[in-house]
Amino acid sequence: MSLFDATQLSLEAALRGSSLRQTLLTDNLANVNTPGYQRKDVDFHAELASAMQSGEALDTVSFSPTSDSARVVRADGSGIDADQESAELAKNALEYQALVSIAGTRTNILQIAMGVR
Amino acid sequence: MGLFDAIDVAGSGLAAERLRMDVTAGNLANAQTTQGANGQPYRRREVVLQEASGQSFGSLLASASSSPVNGVQVAGIVEDPSDPRRVYDPGHPDADAQGYVTLPNVNPVTEMVDLISASRSYEANVTAMQTAKQLFSKTLELLR
Repeated sequence: MSLFDATQLSLEAALRGSSLRQTLLTDNLANVNTPGYQRKDVDFHAELASAMQSGEALDTVSFSPTSDSARVVRADGSGIDADQESAELAKNALEYQALVSIAGTRTNILQIAMGVR
Repeated sequence: MGLFDAIDVAGSGLAAERLRMDVTAGNLANAQTTQGANGQPYRRREVVLQEASGQSFGSLLASASSSPVNGVQVAGIVEDPSDPRRVYDPGHPDADAQGYVTLPNVNPVTEMVDLISASRSYEANVTAMQTAKQLFSKTLELLR
């Protein structure tokens, strides 16, 4: 096992994906009153899972955002439901914080093993 | 591409919603204005928003990393072409020969609803910005 194993690399990739998703959800909320706006999102879980299955290098895996043109929830053609976006934003923020906590704990474990602490 | 993008995007949302609030307040203030800048009764104005096209350096950099995040921008402020209200008030200095006064096409109820909508959207953007800020400081704690 190397110092930065698959778990650490996939944690970092998940952090990148979660951060991208946070930006996309913020973009959705900023465009809540834009007529005809298409909702953006990224399914980084699925992309990360398929990268792990295909044995792709985890530190270079990139996530591709999608925009949902089929989804229309308002009369002005917008695909944004502000409540749903806020809920997703809160959920994604919690997930990001959980990922950061795990990454921090793993770093602490390494530091303890190295006798830094 | 990072969390600062989220803060910029939420910032563009804040600016757009604030302008909507300003324009709505202007409509409410001019609900009875019979003499606008052009001598005609005031016409209701409305903000048209669009997805930002993203010509800034930051967005070009973001597009290089295949990110379509640009935020929101104001496409323009348009006048509502609907018919003005006509009220019978022969004593009014701007009444026409038949005694009718042409009042702005501003409906205070519509404006109040717009105001609430802008205010709620503003709050949503503030929350998004706060969350991004929180996440970023959480990440910085990793360095401690």
